[in-house]
Amino acid sequence: MSNGENASAQHSRRVVYGEALRRFMLRPEATSVVAVIVLFIVFSALAPTLFPTRLTYISIMAVAAELGIISIGVTLLMIGGHFDLSVGAVLGLTSYVAVVLMRDFGIHPVPASFIAISVGGLLGLLNGFLVVRFRIHSFVVTLGTMLIWRGVLIALTGGFPMTVAIPQGFKDAMSGPLLGGFRMSMLWFFAVGILATVLLVRTKFGNWVQAIGQNANAARNLGVPVERVTILLFVITSSLAALAGIIQVARFASVDALRGEGMELQAVAVTVIGGTLLSGGYGSVVGTMLGAITFGMIQVGLVLAGAPGHFFRTLTGVIVVGAVILNTTVARRMANSKPLAGFKRGSTDADAAIKAGAEVDIGTSKSSTSASEAPR
Amino acid sequence: MSEERVSNLPAGSGSEDMIARRPPVEPIPAGAVPVLEAANISKGFGATTALVDVSLKAYSGRILALLGDNGAGKSTLIKILSGVFPPDAGQLLFNGKPVTFANPADARERGIATVFQDLAVCELLSVTRNIVLGREPQKGFGPFKLLDLKKAEDMARSALHGLGVRWERGLDERGANISGGERQSLAIARAMFFGSSALILDEPTSALAVRQAGRVLDHIVRAREQGQAVILITHNFRHALSVADDITVLAQGRVAGQFRRDQVELDELTDLVARVG
Repeated sequence: MSNGENASAQHSRRVVYGEALRRFMLRPEATSVVAVIVLFIVFSALAPTLFPTRLTYISIMAVAAELGIISIGVTLLMIGGHFDLSVGAVLGLTSYVAVVLMRDFGIHPVPASFIAISVGGLLGLLNGFLVVRFRIHSFVVTLGTMLIWRGVLIALTGGFPMTVAIPQGFKDAMSGPLLGGFRMSMLWFFAVGILATVLLVRTKFGNWVQAIGQNANAARNLGVPVERVTILLFVITSSLAALAGIIQVARFASVDALRGEGMELQAVAVTVIGGTLLSGGYGSVVGTMLGAITFGMIQVGLVLAGAPGHFFRTLTGVIVVGAVILNTTVARRMANSKPLAGFKRGSTDADAAIKAGAEVDIGTSKSSTSASEAPR
Repeated sequence: MSEERVSNLPAGSGSEDMIARRPPVEPIPAGAVPVLEAANISKGFGATTALVDVSLKAYSGRILALLGDNGAGKSTLIKILSGVFPPDAGQLLFNGKPVTFANPADARERGIATVFQDLAVCELLSVTRNIVLGREPQKGFGPFKLLDLKKAEDMARSALHGLGVRWERGLDERGANISGGERQSLAIARAMFFGSSALILDEPTSALAVRQAGRVLDHIVRAREQGQAVILITHNFRHALSVADDITVLAQGRVAGQFRRDQVELDELTDLVARVG
């Protein structure tokens, strides 16, 4: 008898685990979790003595933190239905502002940083204003501002790097060593990640961001101030880019004309690996954080594995494409799969995400049929 | 997602019975003030004339069906009623007093809720979050306010309950997973819960299968019973005849006829729209 009970208990546990796995695979973070695990195994196999060490983790987190802070802003914005290609240039320009304030005006790094972040906020405000006021796609607006700010930065620096003496205390606070050898920037990264997650899933603003990304007209119709929320999203994104810039200034004690270049696309890649829909409305800050860690692992892991430098871009590209395929194809198949025995069909997140994507086609064909069926 | 559409119903099916079984309409009580009234409204867009001298009155506890073919001016009229744009000439009255709406939010704050057919639901938000969207309950203080998810769920439940919606699924179901009929019901429940006194429903049944359309019509009747002034825009005569108290037919931007529901036959309405159109 106890045998029989045991068997059924085992069976149901297997079902529970299976269902848990099925549900997990439907979450937006699933791809990035898989990417982190797979890369860890691969790099550990390629460089068994070098990769799985604390020093490596520290390097990975240093890369992930700076890119991650930018990407979190880009993620929130993408969930709200917009792109920001100017974050790299904003990072460069605000870093320049911080360096000049500290070096030429003798301002203490803390107020200098606040001013630099405020400048970042203003640049975001301009992006948001242009998008909202002239109803131009954010992709084009921020492509333009990216080129403008990069040009301005090159003109201001004359193309040369500028160094600045950073007080040790400030350097420590932004990117100095932390307990166990990790850098302070990791703490900033986690803090921003937690705040952004709470903002997205536990506040009115977050609800509005998701709603706008899914159906801006419905949101507007229900009294959501769509324009204000959109502008604020751009401000947050640029401010976070500025924060990442300050961390880099503290780390390198310098700024140069190409600071932050290319990070805008890396941030998009990180966001996509993290499971956020390119079409907006749905995504995860935690996924983006894991996406940034994925990036750090590739960058550090390839060096340790002795791969040539150009591999970085190639492998990153492969992972981005792989992630998108995994996010759509596999997740779609999983969503269509029935819940395992003993479970009601739950409201799993990606379930709906995928269905919504699929229903776009059905929706349009439906409206065309009803239009052709004019009343008699 | 059934292919069958209500407008394709064969004669003698359920909705005919529904029409036949309807009791006579109460006359509008003498001295009653319409909740929402349009008086001699005209509107043009450039060289096109959309509405000419259109008047209608929506009373509390009554359903006014606005019938008309495509292009008759129905959507222009509801956009004026819901504050999307102002009329060129004529006056809107709310509870007997002249009003001008600055924008849709202005109209909504006065209690005029418009449910547009395709603008009802965010696909990836839960039912609860959809219902409280724009009016989210919060807890905490200052800049540290968080969503009160428990209260939001209570609000969602009472909103649906208030309209008599039998919600068999979880309130955490995503918008994409609920049916078209459920979406309309959700939107109507939401509008009423947040204090509308006039409900403007834009083709709420046009994309629905028969049974779902019936359920939505039930909910519209329920809204009337709770004292809403309902304006039901439709091009389905049977739906209009089965629930409406008053019927206004628009054709080519003008009022082609105004009736009490029990003073008009289906054939007459069909002729009216067909002849002018």
